[in-house]
Amino acid sequence: MKLIKRTIPLAMVFIIGITMFLSYYIPHEASQTHYVERMNEWYNIIVAFAFLLGLLSLFFTHYGKIKKKVDGWGYSIFVFIGFLAMVIPAFVSGGDLMIGANLTVLGWAYKSIFNTLQATMFSVLAFYIVSTAFRSFRIKSPQAFILFVAAALLILGKVPVGDLIWTTLLGWTGIEISGIVEWIMSVPAVAARRGILIGVSIGAIIISMKIIFGIERQYMGRD
Amino acid sequence: MLRKYTEKFLKMDRRLIFALLTILMFIPLIKPLGLPNKAVGVSCQQVYDFIENLKPGGFILISLDYDPSTRPELHPQAKAVIRHAFRKDLRVAVMTFLPGSTGLIEEIFATVPKEYNKKEEIDYVVLPYQAGFVAVMTQLGSDMYSIYDKDKNGNPTKKMPVMKGITNYDDMSAVMCITGTALLDQWVLYAGDKFHVPMLGGVTAVSQPGYGPYLQKGQLKGLIGGMKGAADYEGLIGKLGKGTTGIDVLNLGHLLVLFLIITSNIILFFMKRF
Repeated sequence: MKLIKRTIPLAMVFIIGITMFLSYYIPHEASQTHYVERMNEWYNIIVAFAFLLGLLSLFFTHYGKIKKKVDGWGYSIFVFIGFLAMVIPAFVSGGDLMIGANLTVLGWAYKSIFNTLQATMFSVLAFYIVSTAFRSFRIKSPQAFILFVAAALLILGKVPVGDLIWTTLLGWTGIEISGIVEWIMSVPAVAARRGILIGVSIGAIIISMKIIFGIERQYMGRD
Repeated sequence: MLRKYTEKFLKMDRRLIFALLTILMFIPLIKPLGLPNKAVGVSCQQVYDFIENLKPGGFILISLDYDPSTRPELHPQAKAVIRHAFRKDLRVAVMTFLPGSTGLIEEIFATVPKEYNKKEEIDYVVLPYQAGFVAVMTQLGSDMYSIYDKDKNGNPTKKMPVMKGITNYDDMSAVMCITGTALLDQWVLYAGDKFHVPMLGGVTAVSQPGYGPYLQKGQLKGLIGGMKGAADYEGLIGKLGKGTTGIDVLNLGHLLVLFLIITSNIILFFMKRF
């Protein structure tokens, strides 16, 4: 059991990890074309299985919630309703959203259900952001003040009315708000982002090495 | 007395703020403010200049990886860039890694090609949705037909006039990714950096500051950011659309946010002292 559950998976991860890593640095067709192409095919097959596995897992989880009538089980029904509302039209219209200039059943479902629901979900954010900004953005320290000034300048610099306000009130200074916004975006923002990117990349390399060499094994489950 | 009112103001029912925002967003939709969008963003101008300098017949691969949640910002960007490419007589291939964006792509290609008298398979091709972005991005570096052997209609791509002379990144003038996800980072890493294909991007306003390092190092040749970027690009190509009308709505929305933050902080400042 140990061989199947631990040794073979670890060996597979080690071999695939090391060969993929080395393929990047070996400038030969067998390495950079044939090997990578074969791995891409395998990857796509695994992704397809992962999709199926994910779908089954989702269904079993929500079916279990409905069966046991756990708190909020009613919401789980909508998982199945939503799935069927898109999948049935997809089968009926053969996967086509439009035929010529006309919408198919799937096209209608996409436009009237999927599109509308996603747009609604995301647009609700705007209301919460405004409300939260009013209630929570308190300038209590010099750092908060700097954050506020930067945010205010960016907010103003991103819309024509902000440009108009700036020109009317501070146009005499000869400084344009678009110049300030560009500076914020290309100096302090880039410096911070570059630091984050370097940190994240080093972290990703270390985690990858730990997985390849079998030090990190959480992805294998408890066994 | 004044203290009572200010305290009431700070404890304002959030539904009142929601109502205020709704009204402010409706005003420009009914009567557009029409303020001139004077300052075009530098990185947006870079995208325009890059495409403008491509020779007619060049091939641009556009990955449209956004769904209806980020549609208001990214759909106008995509439309404007595709219009620009068609106006420049570039060949266009469109692909996606998001199943939710297929309907939006259909919507673009149901109308935009007709404006420029462009034909499917001759001037443009829409490739089907593919999962597993790492495999696709690296595969496009050697032979794209082993992944995209058919277009979204199931027709073989290899013999299409639009694909003439195109095998991998080496044959493409540029790759552009318009996305509300982190896929642009992956495009830069797996396609731009590894295969040295010029990369262009289009992202939401909230993600825009994160791409500064790529722009400074030339890993991205240009970047369209948010609705402002869409409005800028529409202005540059001289075909105004929903980016331009959308920026009108943002005008008042942004002002409301600023007004509320400043007012609440001023009130708190004075309440602490008096």
